[in-house]
Amino acid sequence: MSQIETFYDVMRSQGITRRSFMKYCSLTAAALGLGPAFVPKIAHAMETKPRTPVIWVHGLECTCCSESFIRSAHPLAKDVVLSMISLDYDDTLMAAAGHQAEAALQDTIDKYKGNYILAVEGNPPLNEDGMYCIVGGKPFTDQLRHAAEHAKAIISWGACASYGCVQAAAPNPTRATPVHKVITDKPIIKVPGCPPIAEVMTGVITYMLTFDRMPELDRQGRPAMFYSQRIHDKCYRRPHFDAGQFVEHWDDENARKGYCLYKMGCKGPTTYNACSTVRWNEGVSFPIQSGHGCIGCSEDGFWDQGSFYNRVTDLTQFGIEANADKVGATAAGVVGAGIAAHIAVSALKSAQKKTQSKEEV
Amino acid sequence: MTRKLLVGPFNRVEGDLEIQLTVEDGRVSAARANSPLFRGFEMMLQGKPPSDALTLTPRICGICSVSQSKAAALALGDALGAWMLPQGALAAAILHGVENLCDHLTHFALFFMPDFARPVYAGRGWHDRAVSRFTATRGAALRPIVEARAQLFHIVGLLGGKWPHTLAIQPTGVTRAPDARDRIRIQTTLRAARRVIERELFGAAAEPFAALQTVAALESWPGGDAALFNEISADLRLDTLGVGPRRYLSCGAYPLDSGRVTASGVWENGAVSAFDPAAVQEDLSHAWMLGDAAHPAQGATVPDEDMAGPAYSWCKAPRLAGRTVEVGALARQAVDGHPLAVALASEGSVRARIGGRLLEVARLLTWLDRWAAALEPSARFMGDAPATADGAGAGLVEAARGTLGHWLRIERGVIASYQIVAPTTWNFSPRDAGGVPGPVEAALVGCPVGDAESTPVAVQHVVRSFDPCMVCTVH
Repeated sequence: MSQIETFYDVMRSQGITRRSFMKYCSLTAAALGLGPAFVPKIAHAMETKPRTPVIWVHGLECTCCSESFIRSAHPLAKDVVLSMISLDYDDTLMAAAGHQAEAALQDTIDKYKGNYILAVEGNPPLNEDGMYCIVGGKPFTDQLRHAAEHAKAIISWGACASYGCVQAAAPNPTRATPVHKVITDKPIIKVPGCPPIAEVMTGVITYMLTFDRMPELDRQGRPAMFYSQRIHDKCYRRPHFDAGQFVEHWDDENARKGYCLYKMGCKGPTTYNACSTVRWNEGVSFPIQSGHGCIGCSEDGFWDQGSFYNRVTDLTQFGIEANADKVGATAAGVVGAGIAAHIAVSALKSAQKKTQSKEEV
Repeated sequence: MTRKLLVGPFNRVEGDLEIQLTVEDGRVSAARANSPLFRGFEMMLQGKPPSDALTLTPRICGICSVSQSKAAALALGDALGAWMLPQGALAAAILHGVENLCDHLTHFALFFMPDFARPVYAGRGWHDRAVSRFTATRGAALRPIVEARAQLFHIVGLLGGKWPHTLAIQPTGVTRAPDARDRIRIQTTLRAARRVIERELFGAAAEPFAALQTVAALESWPGGDAALFNEISADLRLDTLGVGPRRYLSCGAYPLDSGRVTASGVWENGAVSAFDPAAVQEDLSHAWMLGDAAHPAQGATVPDEDMAGPAYSWCKAPRLAGRTVEVGALARQAVDGHPLAVALASEGSVRARIGGRLLEVARLLTWLDRWAAALEPSARFMGDAPATADGAGAGLVEAARGTLGHWLRIERGVIASYQIVAPTTWNFSPRDAGGVPGPVEAALVGCPVGDAESTPVAVQHVVRSFDPCMVCTVH
């Protein structure tokens, strides 16, 4: 273990300048909601601590999490992928193939026993003894259990690993199962979303690598810094919601004016994620900005709630909600119910400060 | 001497893939491609509201989600009797073109070329340069390409809200009407990306590359990584390796108001015949699926939980009029009649596929410029779609990796049947009832395998030249 290089060493060997490195530290601090005072701390940690090895495995999935990750706006995030955290095993990007790759996985597990972070993209299908997802001749479930055994902590990337996602949609033909229902004896951090926002992914991983612990989690096991507010809370179209100005038909005059998409089925009011603040593809936009409602892809069960274009109706209770868990459980897209009631509630709610239940890990 | 060799899991492909090889006297005599991952999207879609297909099917694949989304929108539109408004189709073409362009860039720099940096090629004249440019995860060519991709996806962000899993494409257009400022931003982003691509890939402007007429002209292309590839290809004789069926299908890419931008058809022996979607059948004899061969409009997805032989893959075997066809950039360009692509199509090799892809990169750059300039902010980008209780439709698009088809039937307002035939389903199909191997399986026959090789490098080149996307293949 004494031979593991520091993050800074790795970055230097990639030809990254001191200036870029410091910029990275300060932007990381900002992304994590930490003040400028933390910049030297992050820099110091990266200069002196041995880097944390990461093993990244793929189950039933569509690779969208990796795809999101590699186009993060995080300065040098490409280096996070291409070199810095040195993904010791990742079968989408690595050089080795076949048995060599399997051997590399085993080597990494042996070498860093108890010290590596296991990042899981996708989930294991449990039907037919796991035969619906075979990696290296064995069910992915086996690989997952094996890699998890000596992991320090597990990151569940995306809706698949966190909740099951679309492949778990009824009738869930393969019994796709979220990671925390298979691995029950390790700290697991859920980073839901389909996919999660790149900056959220790099923010979480950088925090864990820098401070050697998990960020603060909410009761569902999500990093509170990114999942404590609803899309609706910070949506730039929120004033139109409060004013009762809605898009009624696709590309109508109201759509052109950027009115609220609530009536088009937007799930922003029941979805906890950072899309309306961090945005997507390097801060360019997010679905609501493209004129399409939020589908709630970071909420448990988003794939089986009736049509994505049905409006959220049971909003009245949200003004006095207790926490995200409850909202997540009740979010549903049933047609009906009056908008007026919600608007009244909305005004009431704006006077309240929302609190989230949190627990430390 | 005969030996069996199991190659896989493959890295640097999208999803999981295993290939079983029979090797006789140092050459592959038979190959079987297995996609060991199955999720059952077609089963989940049954009973759901038709519009759910727009959200669920893109999640088949995080790489080509726009292709899936567009195929779903076209299929739904076909069933509803609705069409995209002209400007909506244009915006959808930009979204789709950017994704296809990015896929080609990733394939070349991140998936295909790194194999030439392997130690097995040490001592070759080009090896040092291949190592410095393309070593997996750290070669010098990788960073600019990854950065250019991230930039290009700003356009998808701008028009589609987010990528992957863009929601904006609907049966009657796109939800986002770009304004004049967006148009300028799209054009600026395209210009910036073009500079990087031209510098790294072509070492010159894209237009002269797009205008190449002959294989000889391609081989003497002097600049960029394209020239490095030529040098490697000439040394390793990639022009003779991995020859496919040399029968190519394209349904025509980028449907616009004025028709599809590239031609639709089936190319064989230099002649293009019309593509008849009714002639598509999915054979299940060697897939772990129950049922008979059927056209996707009548097909079903019933996994065989016993995984009984002789089946060996979750992948169905699509056939066009009973025969295998290859799909992809080379197929698209050859069917479209581009002289260089036509010449490469007759060759049908690893080199031909890469050449076809580079050619398409060059052509896409000019098309994207043209489309962006044609955006008309004052126009409508989306119309209202009529609701329907019953109907059936098909949506055919050209994803980066080739022809992608969605077939759906709506009964009593919900999806009664949904079948998807993805590009890699065509290319990586298992054998059919007549024992005819799929295009990749056939292309691997004759491939050299060294005695000591457990991951034969030539096999890697052939498989990767098809740019497999296994998550799409079996959905």
